[in-house]
Amino acid sequence: MKKSRKRGTREKATARGKTYVFLLFVAGHETNSLQARNNLARLCEEHLKGRSKSTIVDVLKDAAVAHTHNVLLTPTLILIAPLPKVVLLGNLRDTKQVLASLRLVGTGP
Amino acid sequence: MSDRNRPSRKQKSGKGKAEAFIHALRTHQVDAIIGERHIMLVRLKRAEEDLRNSRNQLRALVASLQSIREEERANIGRDIHDDLGQKLASLELGLSWLARKLTHGQQPLRQKIGSLSVLVTTMIQAIGRIADELRPNVLDELGLVKTLQSEAREFERHTEIRCRFETNIGNGKLNRAGSVAILRIVQAAFTNIVRHAEASRARVTLIKKAGHLILTVSDNGKGITKKLVHNPHSLGISGMRERAIALKGRLSLRGSKGKGTTVTLRVPLSQVRIGDKSVSS
Repeated sequence: MKKSRKRGTREKATARGKTYVFLLFVAGHETNSLQARNNLARLCEEHLKGRSKSTIVDVLKDAAVAHTHNVLLTPTLILIAPLPKVVLLGNLRDTKQVLASLRLVGTGP
Repeated sequence: MSDRNRPSRKQKSGKGKAEAFIHALRTHQVDAIIGERHIMLVRLKRAEEDLRNSRNQLRALVASLQSIREEERANIGRDIHDDLGQKLASLELGLSWLARKLTHGQQPLRQKIGSLSVLVTTMIQAIGRIADELRPNVLDELGLVKTLQSEAREFERHTEIRCRFETNIGNGKLNRAGSVAILRIVQAAFTNIVRHAEASRARVTLIKKAGHLILTVSDNGKGITKKLVHNPHSLGISGMRERAIALKGRLSLRGSKGKGTTVTLRVPLSQVRIGDKSVSS
């Protein structure tokens, strides 16, 4: 039996119900890093209530993890799961764009 | 397009990453860049703000220094005129008195006193001119328009470069700071014409238009080059620009090779406060 669903629909179906796992790379208490933390927390609260797990990596304390994930600047957000992996650069202030990149459009309040 | 020429998924992904990187930098969303051995904190926005603040402080200092300089010039001009000028006038009177006391037989002495009198008269005139240049009294007495008319006439007389002055501001009065700044800009422009332009004609216009006062000084000389316009060592041009900024105005210089140079100053009328109704002249 052929699977006729389009790729976008399949991704949205995958997104619903799954736990989102994030890695957020920041640089201490620098301005953009703080904004990225706040924006990620708000996004998880509004669109992924109870379905997200975020790990904050401060590159000023642990740069090795950044090298492992080929992170070149902060803030950088990596969506580890569900696949495919997504890498977002910047302070995540453009909510619409962030949601679209994370395949969360239409799942919010 | 054949498969060979199409960019691979890896190439497309690499290009996308680079664009995202550049976008993040340009929009000031980056805190740190992670190298192999070092992490560089990026504070571009703060650095830009610091630079802007430093520039504003520097401008304020320059404006203050210019103001102090004008005051010093005025003081020196007054001292030269009142003190030195007075003493030379006394010397002239003394020489006249001496000449009257001479007898017919003292012709050589009379001639000597005569030539000394001429020298003293020349010195008095020079003192007057220097004092005027240091403190432009004529600005207070006649106003900017008549002063500029006088400057144009003097410029023509000393350089044999034909100079025309036109204005539409009539007898409207400008505040002293604005008048001095405009006069100094015209004088600096005249100096540049004499030194560099190789011109035969010059023109000065002072026009009130659309809430602004627009001064132009143009010549028909060889034309200033872009390199000279932006030369940081050109103190004359820097000085003109700082005077324009102090009046919240803008100064531009444009040169056309073989056709001449135009200096344009544009300041808001509110900064130079023209009173009275303007009359076309």
